Amino acid sequence: MFKKIIKNFGPEWGAAVMGTAAICITMQLSSEVARPFSPLLYVGLGFYLLATAMFIAFLIPWTLRFFIYPEEVKKDMRHPIRGNFFPTMPICFILAGTGTNKLGPILFGPWFAYHLSMVFFFLGAIGIFIFGFLLLRIQFLNKDVRLEHANFSWFIPPVSHLIIPVLGACSMDVYWAETSLAPVLFVISMIALGVGVLNFLFVGAAIWHRYIYHGMPQGRLAPPTMIGLAPTAIIVIFLVKFAQAIEASHGSLFGINFISVFSSIKVIAAAFWGFSFWWLILVAILFTDYLKRKDHPLVFGWWAYTFPFEAFVVATGLLAKCMATRFLHPMLITLNILVVVVWIIVVFGTIKWLESGAFFKPQH
Amino acid sequence: MKVRSLIIALVIVLTPFIIGIPLFLARSSGRIPARAHLSTDTRKTDNGMTYKGIKIDWTFYPDWEHKPLFFHAEEYLVFMFYYTNNNDYNVSVMPSYAFVSPPSRRYSANEEVSMYIEDGVEKKLKVEDQTPITFEISPNATKHYIVTFEKPHSLGNFYIDVDVFRDVSLRIHYRKRDDKWENYKNEWLDKYVGRG
Repeated sequence: MFKKIIKNFGPEWGAAVMGTAAICITMQLSSEVARPFSPLLYVGLGFYLLATAMFIAFLIPWTLRFFIYPEEVKKDMRHPIRGNFFPTMPICFILAGTGTNKLGPILFGPWFAYHLSMVFFFLGAIGIFIFGFLLLRIQFLNKDVRLEHANFSWFIPPVSHLIIPVLGACSMDVYWAETSLAPVLFVISMIALGVGVLNFLFVGAAIWHRYIYHGMPQGRLAPPTMIGLAPTAIIVIFLVKFAQAIEASHGSLFGINFISVFSSIKVIAAAFWGFSFWWLILVAILFTDYLKRKDHPLVFGWWAYTFPFEAFVVATGLLAKCMATRFLHPMLITLNILVVVVWIIVVFGTIKWLESGAFFKPQH
Repeated sequence: MKVRSLIIALVIVLTPFIIGIPLFLARSSGRIPARAHLSTDTRKTDNGMTYKGIKIDWTFYPDWEHKPLFFHAEEYLVFMFYYTNNNDYNVSVMPSYAFVSPPSRRYSANEEVSMYIEDGVEKKLKVEDQTPITFEISPNATKHYIVTFEKPHSLGNFYIDVDVFRDVSLRIHYRKRDDKWENYKNEWLDKYVGRG
């Protein structure tokens, strides 16, 4: 049975960890809004521990599959949709690092938490860059990729690169600022940011092209539409965390002055947040369309509704720290409730999906 | 859905709340120990510093104890800063803080630890912390900010740089005398504000 599980353990399972892990940050930000919300910090801690347990549980079969069933892995890698989900596991390392950076001090104290998050940073970054190159190579060499294959799951590799600087900036913010590790974190983060932003634009254009000239994909590919709001939301998170990192370095980090850049950061972050918000409405419109057509089947891909939405909520919480606090704080609390509702629906959906035996019959 | 699946799903969705709520209750009921002694309160000693109509006061706890759930307790240097606007117009502030212990130890405030001890400090001082990076102070109003620094072992003296203004920063000096922390000097230091 265990071998059968390993054989069918697709690359997409990291998405479930991502969708659970990011709630610990939305909870932490919501807990800061006002004293009555303080318990949310500890609920966030609960999500952090649950995500850690899921991460360990999923990482074992995910890794074993590379050694026991390499042919299955190769088949998935070449698949124009499933292949893009491979970076979700390295993303989990980065999210585990971010969660450890934020909530680890309450469990292990700052020293251990910040060192552990660094281990996650380097493991995650290595994995993301490796899968980034591998997937692009396969995509460029694969003669079977057609226009109708383009879908929003193609955003996962760019998103995976964009998430590296988030942990990089979080780490430069407090503990590693002004250490010899700070320039290393900065360089890796900036490379990943450049790769992520430009790939987001290139891949976005390809998907846009498909949606206009080939029409919408079938219902089981409806959830990845949500991934479209993740890149700009993650850029907002990075920008605010980077501003905090500059501030933590006594107002100047690598010659970048806090007072000179903070106003620009606020304008750019607000504009990008606006794009994510606009995309959220677009997803609601498309979702309604799929529902009207009765073409929204229960698939594991529902997890695509969770992480991007949570990234948007984190972006809202961080933007509230810089501007429009009175407007964004109530929005943050409302969105945080919605995030939990979506997560609960997806957990129940996944259990129902597993019950149906779909796990052992992967759709290609 | 089968009953077994329903139970599994319920266990998963309730887990974060089942873990989180007892932890919160344990923290707030004080079962996890935390001790702290007040060392300075410039509001009472009238030692606060004023620049451009903004009065900066602070209270200081040199041994605020915080115990991580799985590790032993550690002491932190905890400040609560009070910014009072004595001008007749609104003022936006964007403070940042650095701890320096000569000859070479220098690091920033730890916002994560501040977050965990925030409720305790707020309860003790009966004021509410302002978490945003920037905040506006109306005329005659006071805003508060909790600042936490990790406490190095064998600390004899240190200073805190408070960057609030564009052209000067406030340096607050402390040294240990007879096992007590003494705020022996506070000064304004000019900052370079040019382009070069």
